[in-house]
Amino acid sequence: MKPELTATPKSDPGISKTILKINNLKKVFRVNGIFLAVLDGIDFTVKKGEMICILGRSGCGKSTLLKMLAGFLAPSSGEILLNGKPVTNPGTDRCVVFQEDTLFPWLTVQENIAFGLKGRNKDKKGIRKEVDRFIALVGLTEFRDYLPREISGGMKQRVALARVLILKPKILLMDEPFASLDAQTREEMQNLLLSLREKLSHTIIFVTHDVNEAVTLSDRILVMSKNPGRIREDIHVDLVRPRKMEKQEFIFFRRKLYKHLCD
Amino acid sequence: MIKEENTKLHNFVFQMLPWIIPTAFIILWFVISEAGLIPTYLLPHPVEIAKAGYTYIFDTPGDAPFAGRFLSDAGASLIRVCSGFAVAVILGIPLGIISGRLVSVRKLLSSTVNGLRSVPGISWLPLAMIWFGIGIKTTIFLVALAAFFPIYLNAAAGAGQINPLLLQAGAMMGVKRLRGTFAILLPGAMPHIMTGLRLGLGISWAYLVLGELTGVPNGLGAVIMDARMLGRIDIIIVGIIIIAIMGRLSDQLLTASLRFCFKSAGRMS
Repeated sequence: MKPELTATPKSDPGISKTILKINNLKKVFRVNGIFLAVLDGIDFTVKKGEMICILGRSGCGKSTLLKMLAGFLAPSSGEILLNGKPVTNPGTDRCVVFQEDTLFPWLTVQENIAFGLKGRNKDKKGIRKEVDRFIALVGLTEFRDYLPREISGGMKQRVALARVLILKPKILLMDEPFASLDAQTREEMQNLLLSLREKLSHTIIFVTHDVNEAVTLSDRILVMSKNPGRIREDIHVDLVRPRKMEKQEFIFFRRKLYKHLCD
Repeated sequence: MIKEENTKLHNFVFQMLPWIIPTAFIILWFVISEAGLIPTYLLPHPVEIAKAGYTYIFDTPGDAPFAGRFLSDAGASLIRVCSGFAVAVILGIPLGIISGRLVSVRKLLSSTVNGLRSVPGISWLPLAMIWFGIGIKTTIFLVALAAFFPIYLNAAAGAGQINPLLLQAGAMMGVKRLRGTFAILLPGAMPHIMTGLRLGLGISWAYLVLGELTGVPNGLGAVIMDARMLGRIDIIIVGIIIIAIMGRLSDQLLTASLRFCFKSAGRMS
């Protein structure tokens, strides 16, 4: 499989180039001697700059899929191609924001954000400058010297976002990152994510079970079914942004999605 | 206003808490001695102990038995404790972290370590004397052996309990094995490692005295043994008090220097 080398049309910069291609991906787990197909025949492609939500109920294998994209889990069969190269290991080209708090508790906010850059051969001044920029982007400049245990859950997820964005990943993988936040904070974080995306034009794959979240955020929604996990629908969300949950077309779209999800 | 004074008083009492038991103990001792409840050949008067301690620490060597020996004894003992403890740290922490992370290494080591651990240190003494003779080597061997187990076991427990998501997060941020060990494993295990080091240092002092009881010319344990031979119970008690104080100070010094050297030691405990 060779990477697509065709030039992107000028009228549609960035968004038409395929960055990620998933071919017939399967994952089988062995539980108590019985083989269980968690994911079966997953096929889709992601274009550069796209914001995709993978929507499914608990147990449909959406987190397993994300773990394979991140390189934490090896597929049983099939392949994941990032710019034409197979994904085998975790790497800084595909960064994950986890649902759980995975900040290093012994590092301050700015040290957590600088962590990935410190592994690269970069001078201190350069790191400092980048860290300053990304702390400001997630609005935590005043909290730079705080430890994770001293800040709220929403702020922790801002740090988690900043520490991977600073590495300039090709794809940002998000595994229900706002699921354990309260409703207001979640909305704040969704808005932050959308504004960051406008500034940095990342490709994002966002796993969620929350229909509202999926409709608010995504250009495209992949609806998954359970047992075995398959992609049942691939839906383009053509609502105008910013999307408001109270609007008629939002409600209409959500109803349509629910139907797919519950059938 | 009243509230502020109350907190001040409260803080003062809080600061004094560690001194209450030693002070009460000394007062009780004073009362017992003044009342003559226990004969002085079993428990000398505290003033006598203070005098003996002063002679032992400050007087010119040769003026009286035990006079001025403190510095050379304490120095010798410190060197033995530090060397033995250092050996235990150099072996215990790397082995502990490795066996906390790798099931195969853990399986390889755990039966042996736990078997050896259940052998009381004192039963190594005769063997150590045959192997290393009387003196510094035997003491260092005993100290290193005793301190190894708590250091190893706690480092293993610490490395074993690290949240695997932290390691995944590290991997996705491009951390390779070497950096992962020093940037994630070590700090993640630090609270446990600290506990192990403190326990190990405490037990080092215990085994120091055991090693020095065997006829070495100097050291705090040797002084206690000499004093027993000469019937100088006051010097025995002085030796005990000095070991207690040095043990406490070395623990504080260890904790402070770990906190100074490792962010994780200061921020997670």
